[in-house]
Amino acid sequence: MSTFIKDFIERETISRRNFLFATAAGFGAAAVPGVFGGGTAAAALTDPAIAWSYRDRASAYWNSVVSGGEAFVESLGKPKSALVSLINEGSTEKSLSDIKAFLAKNNGNCAIACDANDSPNARPVVEAVQAAGAYISTIWNKTDDLHPWDFGDNYVAHMTWSDVKPAEETARILFEAMGGEGGVVHLGGIAANNPAAERLAGLKNALKDFPNIELLDAQPADWDTQKGAALMASFLTRYGDKIKGVHCANDNIAYGVIEALRAEGIEDMPIVAYDGNPEAVQMVMDGQLLATVFTNPHWGGGISAALAYHAAIGTFKPSEEPKEHREFYGPTILVTARDAAEFKAKYLDSVPAYDWKDFWGPSNGQIQY
Amino acid sequence: MTRRISRETLIKWAPLLVLLALVIFFTALNPTFFSLRNFARIAIAASPALMVAVGVTFIIVMGSIDLSMEGTVSLTAVSFAFIFAQLGGSLAGLGWIAIPLTLALGGLIGLLNGLVHVKLKIPSFMASLAMGFVGTGAAILLTGGDIVKVSDAAFRGLLTVRWLGFPLMVYVAAFFLLVGWFIQTHTTLGRNFYAVGGGEDLAHASGLNVTRVRVTGFALAGVFYAIAAVLVVARIGQAESVTGANFMFVSITSVVVGGVALWGGIGGVWNALVGVLIVNVIDNGMVVIGLPDFLQAGVLGLLVILAVVLSTDRKMLSFVK
Repeated sequence: MSTFIKDFIERETISRRNFLFATAAGFGAAAVPGVFGGGTAAAALTDPAIAWSYRDRASAYWNSVVSGGEAFVESLGKPKSALVSLINEGSTEKSLSDIKAFLAKNNGNCAIACDANDSPNARPVVEAVQAAGAYISTIWNKTDDLHPWDFGDNYVAHMTWSDVKPAEETARILFEAMGGEGGVVHLGGIAANNPAAERLAGLKNALKDFPNIELLDAQPADWDTQKGAALMASFLTRYGDKIKGVHCANDNIAYGVIEALRAEGIEDMPIVAYDGNPEAVQMVMDGQLLATVFTNPHWGGGISAALAYHAAIGTFKPSEEPKEHREFYGPTILVTARDAAEFKAKYLDSVPAYDWKDFWGPSNGQIQY
Repeated sequence: MTRRISRETLIKWAPLLVLLALVIFFTALNPTFFSLRNFARIAIAASPALMVAVGVTFIIVMGSIDLSMEGTVSLTAVSFAFIFAQLGGSLAGLGWIAIPLTLALGGLIGLLNGLVHVKLKIPSFMASLAMGFVGTGAAILLTGGDIVKVSDAAFRGLLTVRWLGFPLMVYVAAFFLLVGWFIQTHTTLGRNFYAVGGGEDLAHASGLNVTRVRVTGFALAGVFYAIAAVLVVARIGQAESVTGANFMFVSITSVVVGGVALWGGIGGVWNALVGVLIVNVIDNGMVVIGLPDFLQAGVLGLLVILAVVLSTDRKMLSFVK
């Protein structure tokens, strides 16, 4: 027998055995509290392991999410290391297998916060968590037909951010700075990404109220600084002086746009961005950017872990909560020159101490489809 | 006989003809493409990519491949930004020392890369890819995912100060292109690259220390990646752990499009230059003529295939792997 076939059979046998173990463990974990507690506390866990499943550590955004998760576990009197990072590196397969491994390791005694990396992956993740009797809350990625209330208590909540309205607001600020007339270009995110589509849609909404503003071009810059710089340079060749304002899908693209303009000696172009990264907020204060939008990833990271944890220990019972507490929009804060300094002092220079039991205070209403 | 020579000549100059054809094509569709300011824009975008391409050309000429450029560029860019800030953050002061230190670091990473490849006998493809990951990981460790700004006006002069219409960074890239050409044609090392790439067994049998040539080649490539890193920071004024992203695709594509054969021994730094210009002209031109964005990736792929078909001599090849 070739080693390939031998190894393959061995691997399959082992993984089937692991799967059976994990399932048994899951049922066990679900059954144990029933034996000892009984009644309404049937589903509650004691001291569940807490994990955050996310993309990578190479971006300010996810670092901020994780810092929120860590702040939450510290508020429980645990060390930062009590928050387990499950890093999927942009791989859907890894996202699911890491979560399954985490469930198996802790016999389902888990509270998990997760961005499933892509929308279809949210379903298998949630099903695995429910089968193990653990608790999960998700952000960003899930399909429209997947709802927390269809999974009893185990799928605690889903949070996402609607980018249409804030992108529309930044566009209005941009158009007013342009004096209500002239050409504008949009540098977008990866074309297939939902936030990229929403941010462009926001710009188009604002255009309806400004008949003298012309959208010259909208092309993807893939959320990337260098791509943003190259694309802006090409736009300058094609449209030249017709460009009177620039609408960027995120801060990173705006950094590239500013540098492409600097290379041409253009210093006073009105530009708006999105994400509210510290560098961008500084640029708003310095007048290089007109506005950016902050989505408070620190709070999002902390509250997602808190929701899963408190549902798990029985602080509240998700199935008794209204739908707007199970699927809701996260906060968005517009940062402009007027309030940038105040914003920086409040959110960036010192991280506010959040009440991690105020689950829905800063949220923005039920998700609309 | 004359026909054979003319065919070889044609193949030799094909990449340049492809480049000229592209320029004429884009100019015909939008005359503003053919302007000094637009050429300067293309040159700015092409300068860092050219340095990466020149570095990897040496490796490809040896018949190996180096995929460590993304990690190396990220790590050297981030290190440069940190050292530069540490030394006062100004080119006018001690900040200039950061540049030679960064080049040395690039060489060191390349040296390690080469040693892993040669001493542990790991194929260059895998060894360099792994080293690239190590580089990216180290850059994440250093920055914690944050952006490091470099806003010293003197250093940014590489982008903002122009001479004859082109920013200084373009001349820096041109200078190092000449250095690469000098190494390729006027040094023993350069000729040894071709000896190894043309027939490693033969080179070895002739008494050439192939191991040494390989390790030196990777170290040299590392230095060029570090130059690219400094130019990227000059171009966008910041360094982060994703600074090197995309350079793998752009540089390898450019080198192959420019007529350097992946099986080694053929081509050189001029091919790298023409290849980088082809890729950047396509990138810029597609936007300038107003090609819809959903077509751009597909058209880029088709043009790359077309350019490779036209610019490499495949008649003598019995197989392609």
